[in-house]
Amino acid sequence: MTRRRSSPFLYLLNLLFILYLVSVPAKLAAQVTSDQLLNSSAMPANWLQYSATYDGHRFSSLSQINRENVSQLTAQWVFQTATPGFFENTPLVVDGIMYVTGPENLAFALDARTGRRLWSYKRALPEKIRACCGHTNRGFAILGSRLFMATLDAHVVALDAATGNVLWDVQAADYAQGYAFTVAPLIIKDKVIVGVSGGEYGIRGFIDAYDASTGKLAWRFYTIPAPGEPGSDSWPSADSAARGGAPAWVTGTYDPQLNLLYWPTGNPAPSDDGTRRKGENLYSNSVVALNPDTGKLQWYFQFTPFDLHDWDATEVPVLLDAEIEGKPRQLLLHANRNGFFYVLDRTNGKFLFAKPYATQNWAKAIDSSGKPIVLPSALPTEAGVHVCPGAAGATNWMSPTYSPQTGFLYISVREQCDIFYAHPQQFVTGRIYIGSTYMPAAKEKDWGAVRAIDPKTGEVRWEYKEFSATWAGNLSTAGHLVFTGDVDGYLIALDADTGKLLWHIQTGAAIYAAPITYQLNGRQYIAISSGTTLLTFALPATTP
Amino acid sequence: MNFVYLFFFITLNFSSPFSQQDKSASPPNPQSIEAGKSNFRVNCSYCHGIDANGGFRAPSLVSGHFSHGSSDESILNNILHGIPGTAMPANDIDEPTAREIIAYLRSLQKSSQPSSNGNLESGRKLFFGPAACSQCHMIQGQGGRFGPDLSRVGAMRPREYLVESIRDPDAQLTERFVAIDFGTNPPTYELVTVTTGQGIVLSGVVLNEDTFSLQFMDDREKIHSWLKSELKSVVHEHRSPMPKYDTHQLSAAQLDDLIAYLTSLRGDSK
Repeated sequence: MTRRRSSPFLYLLNLLFILYLVSVPAKLAAQVTSDQLLNSSAMPANWLQYSATYDGHRFSSLSQINRENVSQLTAQWVFQTATPGFFENTPLVVDGIMYVTGPENLAFALDARTGRRLWSYKRALPEKIRACCGHTNRGFAILGSRLFMATLDAHVVALDAATGNVLWDVQAADYAQGYAFTVAPLIIKDKVIVGVSGGEYGIRGFIDAYDASTGKLAWRFYTIPAPGEPGSDSWPSADSAARGGAPAWVTGTYDPQLNLLYWPTGNPAPSDDGTRRKGENLYSNSVVALNPDTGKLQWYFQFTPFDLHDWDATEVPVLLDAEIEGKPRQLLLHANRNGFFYVLDRTNGKFLFAKPYATQNWAKAIDSSGKPIVLPSALPTEAGVHVCPGAAGATNWMSPTYSPQTGFLYISVREQCDIFYAHPQQFVTGRIYIGSTYMPAAKEKDWGAVRAIDPKTGEVRWEYKEFSATWAGNLSTAGHLVFTGDVDGYLIALDADTGKLLWHIQTGAAIYAAPITYQLNGRQYIAISSGTTLLTFALPATTP
Repeated sequence: MNFVYLFFFITLNFSSPFSQQDKSASPPNPQSIEAGKSNFRVNCSYCHGIDANGGFRAPSLVSGHFSHGSSDESILNNILHGIPGTAMPANDIDEPTAREIIAYLRSLQKSSQPSSNGNLESGRKLFFGPAACSQCHMIQGQGGRFGPDLSRVGAMRPREYLVESIRDPDAQLTERFVAIDFGTNPPTYELVTVTTGQGIVLSGVVLNEDTFSLQFMDDREKIHSWLKSELKSVVHEHRSPMPKYDTHQLSAAQLDDLIAYLTSLRGDSK
């Protein structure tokens, strides 16, 4: 067989092809370094982590969309999962690609310009999955070219950002016992940090750190101390502690200077009946400050000791440096589900002050050490007691946002009360374990709000009212805007200084997620998940 | 808890009031009843009501008549595996727990009120005739649309609730069925009155309301859609549009007849 020699024409064609390859900007797989995560605010075109930045501000310096032109926002693209369930996610955006986790252990990579799918991932769910409150997930974390997802069946997986291929997969706990993940992981240095769900199943909560490259468990911090450890005497027995809940299902925040990881924890189990767990139930309903290299506890602060109302502290702790009474302080801000806004010294967990930001009738006050003085009328009984806030709390996992432009912390507020009933319940491994129940208070209309809080005083500076109690998170931008959603399906833009309504659009389903923003090819986008749909908006494209 | 309410609760449905309770029904035992009450509250009460008297998603369970089978075994099967074609899901609980719940339900039926002594046929004639109930309420496709459909009201609510709803409709406003709405109070058949930008006053029962819009049906069954920005005022009357039927409008004997008819309504085509 003779080989044909290449003709000059083919040679030229090959040369042109090579020139084309080097001249056209190809999309490469994402490459996100831990340094970039430390400086996420310097890369506002991307959305690199759950709360945008390690301090939990969820603020973007993008300002193309601003309060003068926000009313011109128009839909750019819509993505639908075509599955049951709903999004509660915060997408990541890296160099024009959006990474999205969805219901039922689904995940997608989308072209952030068109919404077209680049790849899909699904981890098949076991038949009887015991994730208490919806088969949902709050998002990916990214490091290098790897995405990290914590799954409903209590695994942690690393995916190749370019293909969605599984790079490693570790089982963190046994889903059959009620352990699950819904959390978006947090990357610190070379570790993937996750917190477990399952406070309704009598689990023993934990926060895990995995080596990002191998999946090997680096450390585990149990949110309930083992017998003999400090804090174990806050439980009446080893049994009550072993099934005491204290999950950790919302992503924490991180101070790189102090090298402290702040992670919020959830309710003790059973949530509505304390007869078998008399004590403070550490470290339920707390924020724990951990050394992220070792998982060792540095300090903790418990917001609601011996909780009987399901008031998880699983709200994002926001880090802020500010002057309090003329003294510069390193603060941790926490709008808690129990209706109080707390300010702590984040270097040592010292309580500075607390102030109610919503209707509450359960505590006479918060004392000078930060402990609530609980009113006996708020203790659940078999006949039921009327307590505000309800079990869903005055706020919940929906993210707050802090704007350095205004100096306000914006929080989603739920004005809704419940009737709490207590009735002791036997524990059965893997079964729901809440000890009675709660019902919406009849003849009371729930309602919602976005409230702007001055973090130095706890004063509410403005309020935007919503017809129904909200489940949506918030985003603030340098366009002097706050974006939020509501349970009636509206995506809403407010003036960050005044709370004035500037724009809204009906998205078709209740919004259980927080908006994000990114920039691509010179255009700023706003993205929001609604139901099983993800929508993006931008200003009309300018004609060339 | 991640979410406010847990959505794997149990619904049970009633059978005809004329069906006999299954002879296999087991006598309740005090320990089982107590444990069953606790597990009912945890697993079932959000839909069926805290005392099993019916909720906005699911029927009352206190009469002892279950349309999908009144025997312990039928109820057990329905708790564990759900009821196709209804909102009743399969429940992730074990058999002993389900049996405790059944024991609790049996204890309630023992203490439930006797059924009405009225005449069912007279009650039906009242409903579609002089009492004018059918002007607003529909049964099996017959009647008006302004009020709640009552085709299954005998299964959904106990007798006491029906009496109260007739004599004092404002005491508890009927809740509308909603699919899944975590942590929000269900909407009701509440009267709302609006004043338009032109000063026209309109009223009806709310179909939907949110921050920006309001949709309602008036008593002529016309649906109105308004943006709140178009309205001068929106007044929630906190009462039902249904008139109170006191003893002048409906004697005690007539009420008995009407209740006999309403409690017979369990969604069966007759």
